Amino acid sequence: MSSTFSSTELTVTAPATLPAPRALPSATTVFTSLLKADLTTQWRNRRASIMVILLPVVIVLSWKALIGKVGGAFILSNAVTLGLNAIGLMGYTNSIARDREKEIFQRLRVAPAPNWTIMGSRLTVQLVMIVLMTAIVMIVGYQYDHIVLSVTGYIAGLLMAIAGGAVYLALGQAIVGRISNPETVNATSRLIYIAFIMVGMFGELGMLGDFIDNTVKYTPYGTVKSIVSGAMTPSTWTSQTTLALLITLGYTIVFAFLGIRWFKWSTRG
Amino acid sequence: MNKSHDQPVLRVENLDIYYGKFHAVQRVSFEVQPGEIFGLLGPNGAGKTSTLSAAEGLIKPSAGSVRVAGYDIRRQPIYARACMGVQLQATSFQPELTVGEIITLYAGLYGVILTRDRLAAILKDIKLEEQVGKRFGQLSGGQQQRISLVIATIHDPQLVLMDEPTTGLDPQSRRQLWERMEAMRDKGHGILLTTHSMEEAEAVCDRIAIIDHGKIITIDTPQAIVDNNRERPEVIRASRKGRITLEDVFIGLTGADVRA
Repeated sequence: MSSTFSSTELTVTAPATLPAPRALPSATTVFTSLLKADLTTQWRNRRASIMVILLPVVIVLSWKALIGKVGGAFILSNAVTLGLNAIGLMGYTNSIARDREKEIFQRLRVAPAPNWTIMGSRLTVQLVMIVLMTAIVMIVGYQYDHIVLSVTGYIAGLLMAIAGGAVYLALGQAIVGRISNPETVNATSRLIYIAFIMVGMFGELGMLGDFIDNTVKYTPYGTVKSIVSGAMTPSTWTSQTTLALLITLGYTIVFAFLGIRWFKWSTRG
Repeated sequence: MNKSHDQPVLRVENLDIYYGKFHAVQRVSFEVQPGEIFGLLGPNGAGKTSTLSAAEGLIKPSAGSVRVAGYDIRRQPIYARACMGVQLQATSFQPELTVGEIITLYAGLYGVILTRDRLAAILKDIKLEEQVGKRFGQLSGGQQQRISLVIATIHDPQLVLMDEPTTGLDPQSRRQLWERMEAMRDKGHGILLTTHSMEEAEAVCDRIAIIDHGKIITIDTPQAIVDNNRERPEVIRASRKGRITLEDVFIGLTGADVRA
């Protein structure tokens, strides 16, 4: 319908041929494309990633003197839990809030990309970060603090770190679902992050009294730390650790449910 | 997936959109044919973006239907989206990615195999071959729009949706974009364009719809809209240069008050 106008007449000067529709891309192709882009983005933001890994490493190195008193698994599990906090509450949450504000998700959603591929790719990048951070903490612990775990301990510790990471990712999802402004998301996630560190880490060391010490065990920090620690030394896994695992799964389900229910792809309209 | 021949590339029927109690779009219906540039004009808050968002499948209408190349956007969203290309108002691409990476990403999402040579040819065509390694955020507004248009059409879609594509562009970039739109139309693509620019609507649109308060006031060719409304007193009052223009008709029909 390439046309010229004369008064109210629309004169068709060339017959239009509708381009043939293209075959749909496979979900694998879509997911791979998204994942490649998300990994590249993560790599370009590597300074932030380094900071996420640096703090747990500093914990491992600076707590070396405590190994004899509290045990190597205690130190490694605290460091890993701290790193998981940072990945879920700082890295993931803020990147989702920023990209939503910039309408990056809406641009992706008008392509034939199912919603699960968009979010699945983001979560896969965080999974990579969790594995990387946990592995680095374990390597640094072995190399500099001479903390040696069994092969089962390393593998189970890594698996529990992934399970624990899911709590913080789900919590981050709930925060970014509830709050639309990226600055408020950033402030809120920082606040929760600091609260978890202060109450969780210092509470567990008995610095904040018995009540806090007992309560912390049932917080997302305490349960995650407990299952990671228990998995690193399987012989110390007790019914209390199993309870912590169940509570961890419960937290994940509740936060994920709220995060999915509240989440909006756009802050506009 | 072979539904789209011999039918409109976009059919919007009796579309109703509510935001809470606010009735933003009221029984809007129109069609975009293959090889047609269709303009949607209206003041701020008239319902243009809501209509476009419903066509993109980003918002769920309260009633009515949207079909892209025969596919229902609600029931078959992936198929419908595979048949359309979208140029959004915002520069909504990951700022960390380079031009080449962004084009490769979207080629993958549409299932287009993009070789290095093909990418170079695309960038050469829009005179951005030197910018392949540059991050999207470092490009000028005109360059970003060219990339955005390339991505919207990389899969040769039947329908292209453009939300105020020339906003912020210099005259040269705007003219260049119009030429690209006309070239797409000549190839048989249907284009739905929202714009505030009457000059743009007159220059490139085959038909336009003027929408206000969520309702379509009129649909016709730009010339026919001028001719059919030139005698109306409110249009004559809006006239500024002694002859009736599309802008005069637009102001006459939608009112001179500035919208929030």
